[in-house]
Amino acid sequence: MDPLVASASVIAASLAVGLAAIGPGIGQGSASGKAVEGIARQPEAEGKIRGTLLLTLAFMESLTIYGLVISLVLLFANPLA
Amino acid sequence: MLSLLHFDVLPLAELEVGHHFYWHLGGLKVHGQVFMTSWFVIGLLLLVSVLATRNMQRVPKGLQNLMEYVFEFVRDIAKNQLGEKEYRPWLPFIGTLFLFIFVSNWSGALLPWHVIEIPEGELAAPTGDINTTVALALLTSLAYFYAGFKKRGLGYFAKYIEPTPILLPIAILEDFTKPLSLSFRLFGNILADELVVAVLVLLVPLFVPLPVMMLGLFTSAIQALVFATLAAAYIHEALEGHGDEGHEEHA
Amino acid sequence: MFDFDATLPLMALQFVLLTFLLNAVFFKPISKTIDERDGYIRTSKSSTAEYLKEAEKLAKQYEQELADSRKQAQQVIAQAQAEAKDSVDKQIAQAQAEAQQQREQVQKELDQQKQEAFRTLEGQVDSLSQQILGKLLGAPAA
Repeated sequence: MDPLVASASVIAASLAVGLAAIGPGIGQGSASGKAVEGIARQPEAEGKIRGTLLLTLAFMESLTIYGLVISLVLLFANPLA
Repeated sequence: MLSLLHFDVLPLAELEVGHHFYWHLGGLKVHGQVFMTSWFVIGLLLLVSVLATRNMQRVPKGLQNLMEYVFEFVRDIAKNQLGEKEYRPWLPFIGTLFLFIFVSNWSGALLPWHVIEIPEGELAAPTGDINTTVALALLTSLAYFYAGFKKRGLGYFAKYIEPTPILLPIAILEDFTKPLSLSFRLFGNILADELVVAVLVLLVPLFVPLPVMMLGLFTSAIQALVFATLAAAYIHEALEGHGDEGHEEHA
Repeated sequence: MFDFDATLPLMALQFVLLTFLLNAVFFKPISKTIDERDGYIRTSKSSTAEYLKEAEKLAKQYEQELADSRKQAQQVIAQAQAEAKDSVDKQIAQAQAEAQQQREQVQKELDQQKQEAFRTLEGQVDSLSQQILGKLLGAPAA
């Protein structure tokens, strides 16, 4: 493999995961905060809120996972190599 | 292929990504290790189901009790998304999706597959292979197309131009992004979990990977739930028509 | 890692097969059992409601009877009390009447004796006054 392509791929892979983690991180933080507010306001709805929150967090998490998939492609199945 | 993570220093653990144990069927190549573990999962599911339902009692106990709990869990997933009226015919599909993915994920996280030596590659959760997840996602797509056609015939295509025909490309694109996101979400989560655990085991072989493994168990369970819930939501969307209810879009 | 091959369709086929198998050995039997149990619970619930209604009716009847007999008992008691009071009153009245009679009799006797006494006293008065007169008249004469 061309060393230039290899090093660019490694940098791109780390950037993909790192950048993809920013947005979901903010989103998960604000969603969890709202959920805690909701539980504090209405403790009897905790079960429902927790279930919805987990599902929502999983959706946000998958955004980072897409970045991870891209970085895995770059590392292990690089089409340019 | 970069072999960045291929260490042969420690005999305890090594990382292999992208190696497969190929079986040749006629002119076709298949991933043998995926089929081995998926047969184990399928066998386990069938065995437990047969054992639980072989001698059904009015007052459940033991295995029957567990499987009734499982049944009610998956029934609630289907019922919450599809509604009381529509859920019954789709329950086997959605329930099997959940059970297969859940048992696959947990078998990958709990069972020491790597101990069993196979000629090439290594045994892991069947859902950690892109072929499996894409197969499941494509089946989900087929399922919701089938649901829409069966319910509304050719009128199903009206959903592509329903609010305005301007959104037609996006509506068509959605049919591609749905299976893509479903499959990549599951694949990425399971593979990422396995990789993280493997890297940690490579660095510190004892105790330190345990919390991450627990997190992996949790994530795997949630991903099974998410896959089944989303499949049910897509089917519901196809049954109900587009845009006339507040189902959030997951790209 | 992203190598698609015959694994994909075979896995899909396998999964569809699993769906049908699980439907046969898991979803159908369990849903049947749960439905049967629901039906059993519903019928036993409705029959229980019937039993409860019957029991409530019986309880009400017993209560009615109890109230009736209590009322009767009170009536009997009141009657007995009235009778007892009646006889007591009667006896008291009789006794009072008797006492009155005796008193009157005694009074009458007393009166009689008094009159007799007066009469004898009057006779004595006469003789005594004669004597006194005799004495008085005789003394100056003497």
